[in-house]
Amino acid sequence: MDALLSATGVWKRFGGVAALRGADFSAPSGEIVGLLGANGAGKSTLVKIISGALAADAGDIRINGRHARWSSPRDAIAAGVRMLPQEISVFPDLSVTENIFAGRFPRRRMPLIDRRAAERQCRAALDELGLDVPPGAPMRRLRASEQRLVEIARAVAGEARVLILDEPTASLTTAESERLFAILAGLRERGAGIVYISHYLDEVFEICRRVQVLRDGENAGAFETAAASQDQVLAAMVGAKRVGALYPPRARKPKLESEPGQAVLEVRGLSAGGEVVDADFSVRAGEIVGVFGLLGSGIAAFGRAVFGALGPRAREFKMPGCAASPRTPQEGLKAGIGLVAAERKREGILPDLSLRENVTLPFLRKYTAGLAVSTRRERESTRRAMAALGIRAPSTEQAAKNLSGGNQQKMCIARWLSGDIQLLVLEEPTRGVDVGARGEIYAKLRALTDGGMAALLVSSDAEEVAGLADRAIALVRGRVAARFEAPVEAAELLRAAAGLADKGAA
Amino acid sequence: MMRAWLGKAWAGHAVLGVFFALLLALFSALSPWFWSFENMVSMGANMAFIGIMAAVGTPLIVAGGLDLSVAAVAGLSGVIVTLMHEGGMGAWAGVAAALVFGMSAGAGNGLLATGLRLNPLIVTLGTMSIITGISLVLTDGLTRPLSADNFNWVGNSRPLGIPFPLILMLALFFILWLVEAFTPFGRHIYAAGGNPDAARLLGVRVKRVQIILYALSGLSGALAGVVLAAMLGAAAPDAAGRHLLTIITAIILGGTSLFGGRGGVWGTLLAVLILGALNNGLTLLNVSSFWQDVIRGIVLLCAVALDQVRTRAAEA
Repeated sequence: MDALLSATGVWKRFGGVAALRGADFSAPSGEIVGLLGANGAGKSTLVKIISGALAADAGDIRINGRHARWSSPRDAIAAGVRMLPQEISVFPDLSVTENIFAGRFPRRRMPLIDRRAAERQCRAALDELGLDVPPGAPMRRLRASEQRLVEIARAVAGEARVLILDEPTASLTTAESERLFAILAGLRERGAGIVYISHYLDEVFEICRRVQVLRDGENAGAFETAAASQDQVLAAMVGAKRVGALYPPRARKPKLESEPGQAVLEVRGLSAGGEVVDADFSVRAGEIVGVFGLLGSGIAAFGRAVFGALGPRAREFKMPGCAASPRTPQEGLKAGIGLVAAERKREGILPDLSLRENVTLPFLRKYTAGLAVSTRRERESTRRAMAALGIRAPSTEQAAKNLSGGNQQKMCIARWLSGDIQLLVLEEPTRGVDVGARGEIYAKLRALTDGGMAALLVSSDAEEVAGLADRAIALVRGRVAARFEAPVEAAELLRAAAGLADKGAA
Repeated sequence: MMRAWLGKAWAGHAVLGVFFALLLALFSALSPWFWSFENMVSMGANMAFIGIMAAVGTPLIVAGGLDLSVAAVAGLSGVIVTLMHEGGMGAWAGVAAALVFGMSAGAGNGLLATGLRLNPLIVTLGTMSIITGISLVLTDGLTRPLSADNFNWVGNSRPLGIPFPLILMLALFFILWLVEAFTPFGRHIYAAGGNPDAARLLGVRVKRVQIILYALSGLSGALAGVVLAAMLGAAAPDAAGRHLLTIITAIILGGTSLFGGRGGVWGTLLAVLILGALNNGLTLLNVSSFWQDVIRGIVLLCAVALDQVRTRAAEA
């Protein structure tokens, strides 16, 4: 018998980087299948291809044994494949009914919609899921969990046979999650095939009979949850050690041993609007401290809260020459902190300005004599930065938007080198960066910290934190769940972040 | 090939320069009076009042702002000078009051647009209406004569044969070019408009940059209003307002992107000259001012289309 959904040999490249290298996946009818993998393993790319949002370069997707060849999510939905993205996507100002029937209202006579029939069908769909919300209520009055369930009702009412859920519990409480699981179990009994993506292994083991693991765009194993242990699955996600080539060796740090407690930064009670809750940590000169967490764990706010971009966020903040938590980016800069923002396109590069202008912007005063900026000195400094980080560009005057992703990222790091930075905060420093540039960035980062700078590496890439950090903390729902000393193990980080155990010493 | 070439800023200036030259050649051929020193100079003087506002409006739009109230500020400034002169306080006290008013109105626009995060289009549309209304209330909608011997030279004197308003405008363009090209503040203008989020994280005080430019835009409106009142020897409450579209047209035609981050005052200066030549030449050819409106509209649409092509070329 054919599986309800099967994908075989799927390839997908973005520019020069292969996100999927012949990945396989299948989901039979009446089963919930877990899809697991570390960040960048290719899970999202794979489900986007299955749901018609992306086209594969090669590979075969079949629904009930029939070739699926669709050019948009609309085709996939018509074939019964529905994806619920991580972010809840509803029309907040439309009613529950209108949300459920968006795009395909029942008609009375051609141009007129049949409101009464819609409401009736909507109620039936809600009842089926045991969801007690008024069909006429506007969506924005519902809680996040109810909105999530309405999304599922929308898929079910649209006769979806394959349902793909990407981190559906990220915004739900435990009780709400349990309710979601019960509903998913009900759908499974009625023959739906459900693909379940989650970082929380407990959840996956609770509701999935089978899990499939992706690593670097390839299959890394399939497990029956009844027979396998969570550690086996984690091992498959992390893979064999390929660390040596990519990550530079750690510093011997003789200086540090002789001067213990040379803290560049000591923070107590860092909080950011519920995203980060009461975190304590310190960073010493010459070391890289990793802050690891999954999506939604609060790491997105962590680095910028330290830098001052979110206002004063720490109860106690101690840096040489700065005794208070910075209130603005200017104050962060003055204290000697630099920030490499996660979203390079949105928050990192100034697209129309040249490489030179991008590099010198934070310390423009240093290049200014009297009233005028000295372009000559800017060029010299930019050339030095290009050489130091291996930025490949035809000239210092190249517009930033015309550089490759890797070179843009190097530029975002390079701009902090001309100032007196004591601490460099890096958010996801290698996201969307090809492997070659990654290695160069890691090596440069290590060279900088060997020179006495301190670095805070905020990343959702467990391997990156494990390969680079001298010490690390793991965040779970905004709180520091575990602390690690080198050598940090990627599997341990993932375990801690998945809320499995408070492993690791203080 | 053509597109890649259009993506370069200097290429945009070259296109404008060639267009300006063609326009000069065309009008010289069609009208015997066009190509004379006297006509060229009066053409410049007539555009000075618009050029002053367009010059300062350019860095404001580059930084991500927009000021639709600037021409209304010019109108009320002329009224302030005239009324204070009539009231016996002297025209120069009126000038001082007008400049203070213009700068405060601009700063108010800036605070509303950045502090409350309101859309600058709507904020300045609102202040434009308020300021125009006040001008009409103060004058009952009538034109007031303004004749003060020690004041009217601002509009009419000709040091070295060149009208003072033209000198003022060119000096303003030159100073703004120095600021935008060579100072840290100039760099911050481009950073704030090009990517405000990134600029903020790199220590640029984006809101402060914008508020300063709004204040300067208001100041330029007051200055233009003073110059216009001096040239006309009168203050007409509605004399300036109808030139707003010409100001915006000049800035966009000059290659400054309405989305911020790109552009510069040289392009605006060229565009001001083109619009001035168009106005002057068509008048000499006895084309009615109604048709001139039509032609200005077409030029504006062409400029916006060109901006789109340039943006796409630059992105490709």
